[in-house]
Amino acid sequence: MTEPRNPGMSSIPQTAPVHTDSTSPAVEMDPVEYTLRKRLPRKLPKRRNDVYVNMKTDFRAQLARCQKLLESGGHREICVHGLGLAINRAINIALQLQASSQGVLQLAANTSTVELVDDLEPEDPDEAGEPMTRTRNNSAIHIKVFYPDPQ
Amino acid sequence: LDMRTVSVYHDQPYSNAGQPAVVNNVSSPLTVPPPALKLGQEGFKKVCRTEEDSPCPFPGLASGVLEMRVKEGSKIRNLMGFAMARMQGEKGVSGGGLRQVVFTGSGRAVTKTITCAEIMKRKVGALHQLTKLQYKVVKEVWESSEGGTSEMTVHRTVPSISILLSKDPLDPQEPGYQPPETLSALWEEREGIESSTQTACKRPLGPLPYSSFPHCKRVCLGEGVSVHPLH
Repeated sequence: MTEPRNPGMSSIPQTAPVHTDSTSPAVEMDPVEYTLRKRLPRKLPKRRNDVYVNMKTDFRAQLARCQKLLESGGHREICVHGLGLAINRAINIALQLQASSQGVLQLAANTSTVELVDDLEPEDPDEAGEPMTRTRNNSAIHIKVFYPDPQ
Repeated sequence: LDMRTVSVYHDQPYSNAGQPAVVNNVSSPLTVPPPALKLGQEGFKKVCRTEEDSPCPFPGLASGVLEMRVKEGSKIRNLMGFAMARMQGEKGVSGGGLRQVVFTGSGRAVTKTITCAEIMKRKVGALHQLTKLQYKVVKEVWESSEGGTSEMTVHRTVPSISILLSKDPLDPQEPGYQPPETLSALWEEREGIESSTQTACKRPLGPLPYSSFPHCKRVCLGEGVSVHPLH
């Protein structure tokens, strides 16, 4: 995909924990003069059976949503995605879906690296600080939860 | 001595992921905190943590494969320094090094485990990958720090991940297989198969017989202490 990055921004105070992969180059940053803004991850496919797991929504609500897609939604497979901290939750959802199906559902997990962009904006526009961006990587998981085709 | 055994489904230390807590042998005057939640704050301290053996997720794997066990506090540079050296073999010798490596980690080490595998794929290149997920049972023994007379054994199930990276081809039909260099192709490929999955989904399916999922809002422990799933 070559589409531009999602311009949406979420402003996060400087003190928020930054979950970095190991690969981001260390950019010197004066905590007084820059605001760190994390851009949203790039836009990802959103089919009806894609579920993006986050850490804000209640766990049970996200589990119930997956349950519903597989049961009454008529989907033979769904894809549960998790990025960074939400990886654990995505795995938990997938494993619990499998457990509650008495082992009928199967899981196929893939991993990937997602590039994230942070903007560093100078607090005081009069000062010499230049707006900067910095990219970092974070790990992601994509779990296909599916009913195997009858052989 | 007051001994209890509690089983809790668990993803991180402060949640039980909406799963029922199975409680055995509860017999006590209850000032017992909910398991898995605030044992530490309620005057209990963890004295022991052991992971129970779980079946190897890769049956048929040659014995002696390098297994990197990633823990919460492991340093990625230490893990990667060791694993890369073993995979690349001695410097200057072409074709040296191991053919396969397995990264495993559970609980809060899962993300780090994936990161290690992703770094190795980038650095080594042309690696076939097989990813498996399973619950792992962790046994914890907690001791009351006040009285010193009560002890609790908590069985929690934490999600764990095992990633096999191989220089040799793996079975592409195996669920969780990823061919080499899918880092960027993953999304395009997924969009490409969209049409086929959409038609596959049109099969009318009635309510499936799997609707008996436990709607477990709170689970009572013994004499009325409840567990509130936070996640």
